[in-house]
Amino acid sequence: MEYEPIFPLRAIAFQVLFLMVAISIEAGIFRQRLRLGFKTSVQYTTVINLAAVVAGWIAFLVIEPLASPEIKVQIISYLLFDRLLITSWTAEIGGAILGIGLVVFFATYFIKLKGLEWILRLADAWKIPKKMEKLNREQRYMQAREGRTESQQALAEFTDSVIQANAASFTAILLLLLLRQAARSWA
Amino acid sequence: MQDAFKDFTNQMRSLLWPEKYFAWQTLLMLSLFSWLVAILLSNIEDGNPIAVEVLSTLSWMFLTSAIWWALEKNKIKVYGFSIGPWITGAVFCLFAFRPWEDGRFRWALSCWPLISVAIMALPDFVNWELKVSLPAKDKRQPLIMVLLVNLLLTSWILFYFRVQDWLRNYPSLLINDLNRSAFVYDFEPNRQPIVQGIPLLESTASAIADELSGQPWYQAERWLYTRKNRLEDIALRMNNNLAAPDEQIFWQIAVPEPQRLGSGYLLTLRADWIGPVAGNQSFYIEKSCKITPEDRARTVPNTPASGEANATATNPAQSSTTPSSTTPSSTNRQNAAAQVSRVAVVDCGEDEATVQWTGEPE
Repeated sequence: MEYEPIFPLRAIAFQVLFLMVAISIEAGIFRQRLRLGFKTSVQYTTVINLAAVVAGWIAFLVIEPLASPEIKVQIISYLLFDRLLITSWTAEIGGAILGIGLVVFFATYFIKLKGLEWILRLADAWKIPKKMEKLNREQRYMQAREGRTESQQALAEFTDSVIQANAASFTAILLLLLLRQAARSWA
Repeated sequence: MQDAFKDFTNQMRSLLWPEKYFAWQTLLMLSLFSWLVAILLSNIEDGNPIAVEVLSTLSWMFLTSAIWWALEKNKIKVYGFSIGPWITGAVFCLFAFRPWEDGRFRWALSCWPLISVAIMALPDFVNWELKVSLPAKDKRQPLIMVLLVNLLLTSWILFYFRVQDWLRNYPSLLINDLNRSAFVYDFEPNRQPIVQGIPLLESTASAIADELSGQPWYQAERWLYTRKNRLEDIALRMNNNLAAPDEQIFWQIAVPEPQRLGSGYLLTLRADWIGPVAGNQSFYIEKSCKITPEDRARTVPNTPASGEANATATNPAQSSTTPSSTTPSSTNRQNAAAQVSRVAVVDCGEDEATVQWTGEPE
């Protein structure tokens, strides 16, 4: 079998770059908000980002052969020629792209949330119990005052920081992509 | 000189010959031994093929284990990370997948990272008493990290093969410049791919020539009138003859408007590429065929049945094109006129069609 000398080197370069950007941003946020150490926060962020990226690749490799010829043409056109094969922009196409972006964002968020929880449990660093069996006096007071328990608050803080980290890294990568586009049209 | 040679042989012996029998060199010797026996057996006339197969498999297994053991003893480290399992994994994949056989290479390469991770992680899951247990707590997270990195490597390899599949199924894509892509890099940008529209159009033209050549002229004109359906039939037939038939979804054969050319017609066939392209340009392939009438003396002897058919076939055409030549009530002359029939001649030229571009390259 003959193979063409065409390698996905640019994909690999961009992937490594974006992973590094995402890991540095998210690790900073986790270090601040979840009080993880410097090294541990980088390690955990690397693991969850790798998991998200691998899930994305698996999704692509599974969906691409199943897609209809119209979608497949768009995928090939985008990956090989960096453009979509559409004659005009309509609200439907814009909506579809926006929808895909949202699905990707929330899927990534979910993977990172569950992944981080899982790693923390593995490392015995998961401090949030499922249910408070017995509330002491102070906690009951807090619940009465704030309307939620300490564990609920800790969980909210945890999910908050994950979604903040995810949003920050997505924004940074999106800015880099826009920058690339601008540089390309400028050149 | 002799001393140096002796020294060298001594060193080789101490490297390859085990000091004690419980060593990786023993496995290497076993591998060599079973390999030699397998070769001997296969050279014997009535050698048992199963025995040869078993022995060569054993030889591979001994070799893989010997390499694993050797690399466990003398670790090769890159930035403090032992890459021994990946070498063992490569040898194992060579043995298990036989990548030199057709179509196996991609499986060997795709599985290599995962098999290597399995080889690396195995000692953490199974101890020397063959008891299965989960790895120690402090080893779990590095293991997950290595597994994820190798899954990513596998994804990249699979993506490489996916792109190769696209290029094999749709080879005309390669006429485009891949320079704009954010995903792939082309190491051979100036290749001359086979644009399949050319064979598609050539075979369509020759199919039309086959259908029309020697046919009575009025039938050729009828064919031109109903050309849409006829061309669709031909295009459908031709698509199956393409080297990469999947590509047919990207080709559209335009239905041409025949132009008058003297007493005949000029039919310009055109195949448009409607698949992905780089930039705002696209390409098509064009080929012209001249379809002209020619008066030809009939060589077929006149049997009654075919004579009748021919008479009905040629008469309307003659009456329409040469109305003045027929004189009434002269059966003799009409018979003589019927000896010459008007047939279509198709000439599509000798030159092969070439790719034409439309639009501006960016």
